[in-house]
Amino acid sequence: MIWDSNQEPGIRKLIDDFTAKTGIRAEIQVVNWDNYWTLLSAGAEGGALPDVFWMHSNESQRYMSNNLLLDLTQRIKASTEVDPENYPADILGLYTYNGKYYAVPKDIDTIALWYNKKLFDEAGVAYPTADWTWDDAYEAAKKLTKADGSVYGYANVNTNNQAGWYNQIFDNGGYVISDDKKKSGMDDPKTIEGMQFMAKLINENLMPSPQVMTETGEDVLLESGKVAMTTQGSWMLAAFRDNEYTMANCDVAPLPKNAKTGRRVSIYNGLGWVVSAKTSRPDDAWKLVEYFGSKDAQLKQAQLGITMSAYKGTSNAWKNSVPQFNLQAYLDMQNDMVIRPYSRNTVKWENAINDCMLKAWTKELTMEEACKEAARQMNAILAEE
Amino acid sequence: MTRQKRITSLIIHIVLIVASLTMLVPFFWMFLTSFKTITESTQVDPFVIFPKTWSTDAYKKVLNTMNFLLLYKNTILMIFFRIVCAVVTSSMAGYAFGRLKFKGSGIAFSLVLFQMMIPSQIFIIPQYQMISKMGLPNTTFALVFPGLVSAFGTFLMRQAYKILPKDLEEAARLDGLNIGKTFVLIMAPLTKSNTIALSIFTAVFAYKELMWPMIVNTDKNSLVLASALAKMQGQYTSHYPELMAASLIACIPMILLYLVFQKQFVEGIATSGVKF
Amino acid sequence: MKQQNLRHTTTRNAFFWGWVLILPTMVGLVILNIYPMIKTVYQSFCKTGDFGRGNIFIGTANYAKVFSDPVVWQATLNTFKYMIVEVPFSVIIALFFAVLLNKNIMGKSIYRTIFFLPMVAAPAAIAMVWRWLFNSQFGLINNVFHISTHWISDPSIAVYSIALIGIWSDIGYNMILFLAGLQEVPREYYEASSIDGTNGFQKFHYITVPMISPTIFFVLVTRIIAAMQVFDLIYMIMDRSNPALSKTQSLVYLFYQYSFVQKNFGYGSTIVVLLLMFIMVITVFQMFAQKKWVHYN
Repeated sequence: MIWDSNQEPGIRKLIDDFTAKTGIRAEIQVVNWDNYWTLLSAGAEGGALPDVFWMHSNESQRYMSNNLLLDLTQRIKASTEVDPENYPADILGLYTYNGKYYAVPKDIDTIALWYNKKLFDEAGVAYPTADWTWDDAYEAAKKLTKADGSVYGYANVNTNNQAGWYNQIFDNGGYVISDDKKKSGMDDPKTIEGMQFMAKLINENLMPSPQVMTETGEDVLLESGKVAMTTQGSWMLAAFRDNEYTMANCDVAPLPKNAKTGRRVSIYNGLGWVVSAKTSRPDDAWKLVEYFGSKDAQLKQAQLGITMSAYKGTSNAWKNSVPQFNLQAYLDMQNDMVIRPYSRNTVKWENAINDCMLKAWTKELTMEEACKEAARQMNAILAEE
Repeated sequence: MTRQKRITSLIIHIVLIVASLTMLVPFFWMFLTSFKTITESTQVDPFVIFPKTWSTDAYKKVLNTMNFLLLYKNTILMIFFRIVCAVVTSSMAGYAFGRLKFKGSGIAFSLVLFQMMIPSQIFIIPQYQMISKMGLPNTTFALVFPGLVSAFGTFLMRQAYKILPKDLEEAARLDGLNIGKTFVLIMAPLTKSNTIALSIFTAVFAYKELMWPMIVNTDKNSLVLASALAKMQGQYTSHYPELMAASLIACIPMILLYLVFQKQFVEGIATSGVKF
Repeated sequence: MKQQNLRHTTTRNAFFWGWVLILPTMVGLVILNIYPMIKTVYQSFCKTGDFGRGNIFIGTANYAKVFSDPVVWQATLNTFKYMIVEVPFSVIIALFFAVLLNKNIMGKSIYRTIFFLPMVAAPAAIAMVWRWLFNSQFGLINNVFHISTHWISDPSIAVYSIALIGIWSDIGYNMILFLAGLQEVPREYYEASSIDGTNGFQKFHYITVPMISPTIFFVLVTRIIAAMQVFDLIYMIMDRSNPALSKTQSLVYLFYQYSFVQKNFGYGSTIVVLLLMFIMVITVFQMFAQKKWVHYN
């Protein structure tokens, strides 16, 4: 079971290849994201989960700690196709519990900077390069923002943390959640300092107002030539590929780095293929997810241009799927990756943080106040876990 | 027609036309968007109202990839059985609550009202577990399950029966009919307009329902229209022209259903306006 | 003696038939709806664990939290605001058009179908279209009238914009019910009063309204309940990045966040029970008030 109908045709092909090899058949069912977790919850309570399905870091802890997923450790050890060495350790870590593996990594995503070449040309600003710092980005945003508000230099809405302001926090040496998952890093001085980039953009009106950004997504603003820069995850490639404006006028560069620390972090995340603990066909289900994780399938997946595959070194195919864009930028970001902050109740404190950030975006609170408030609420939530 | 009547008639028509256009604005937008390219559909500045070229690509793609006939069939079956269940159980209960005095009816009817007040989302997980235990996901029965009985329908029919004149039952009793026969032969036929209204509502509510069908019927062959449309929305962006095209195609059976029912509705005039 | 026997038999008959007729509905309601509700009430007294396991009974702690939670009370206010605007407007407008379309006007079938259309548009499509109509910078409404109102991102008016969409969707529903009710009014009443020399307005006030008062009652009760449960519109049109969300989110929206997104079923259930209390009070009040103004035969 999966939640993205865009990936359905590609996965169908992979399953067909699998059936040709092994004779085992499988059915895909797509349930949209909103209802996916409700369905799984209901199934978990009432006893019938799909045999094989996608797992996300938001929920993985909950499912693993409740023994709903099949322990794959032994099978992975015995497998020739799936070797933990070949996948980023953090991704496996998302789906590891008490030292046991519960998923085969499916994909990863990184973040990069999209910019509008046409607007840069008009304003006479040089395109972002790999040497850019966040200060360079800020300066460019100032030059690119037009006084009449028809163009803004940058766009980052408060809820876009993974592909947005988390990166600046970690670049500066700050953090969001401590490694032991007990404490919030939002009030750490380095975090607050890292958030000053966004604070400057907000206070100097270099971004559209929060009202505009909530009504019109960052991607739409980019596609309509209203903003010159925005950071987006690699999953947005399909949308930008299908849009004529972005194909003609936009390109992508690595994220700027932090001037002081020199770090250029990309938050990353990855889905995993899991098997239900109560499946009636564990061996067949295992063979299927093993196949999904194999080099062969991961290469094919990347070729489809939907996501970057988790298997190290297979993402070149993804990069080449749209030669007009400098997708190497996304691959370069793999050099310094930080796993997307998570815990057992990720959604709960993430929402709390975002709500505090909203107050900073609307200038109700200063960035520092918002960060401290976010930390306060997050610590309260973590204490309950 | 006198002059005054003509002016009144004209004013009425103008009001109706303006109101109709206002009601239709969103549909015009859906219609226009279905012919645009993706870029045109999301473009905000300049705002694209009319597509540059009227492209039928969205329709072609949607008709090719989605099996509308199957979706129609599944949706219509669900609607049909829900209507039958709702009308039969609600008419019976509505008559009893509306015309008969019997012990416990007050409490029972309070329970009916109570159900209507509960947000339906809390039913989803327990009902899913019931269907799951019965081994019946991905069936028409599963789709009909929450609609086997209808509190809303019961309330509606109770009102319908309450309006009918009192002496009808007296007359029936004098003719020797028991309560059951009175109900079936005399009272039920008199509620035609409201029964049709109930059918229309049951149909519309069933058609629009998303959370339940999405969760209980996930198999490709047992999807309904609402699920198929929801699936078209990607996690991050949607292909708007295709979504609009599919939504418009999905409307068609409902509009046809309504036109058919409407005729019955109008004919209801003949049977009501009871002669006393 | 015979008189008493007759009445006794009638009562017994009514009891028998009454219960036979309502039995299917009652059985269905108990299994499908009452049982889950009891479960929900139980959950409101617990700190729920994952997947229905490990529920810890904590008594009324959730309720204490709910009563002192400003977010919950703001959501209550939002829900009432929505209801106060959406119900009267959609009822009055629908009644007006139902009366118009009950006469023999040319093209009335077409008009009726047009008013019905919003009911069958897919919710996803409706959301997308209205988001564009209401977009403050690029939307149709602001561009046509040259204003720059933040329809769905201004905290003070967003809830009313959502109510506008609700009115648009619900006019068809109300109108169908009113038309059904209007069909039941015997023509003879109007004809008799014409002979007496009454005009249109008087006919409406003294004949139409009382005769369809059961229908109006039904529409009011069901529409108020539905308005108090508003969720889909808000969920599809506004997301977390919207500054107006806290002043617009309804109680059901809040419940959905707690129960389905954060998996905190205990607190979510408490909110449901709270909402239920409100709706019950309003509905009971209406049931008693119906004696004053609803006219049954």
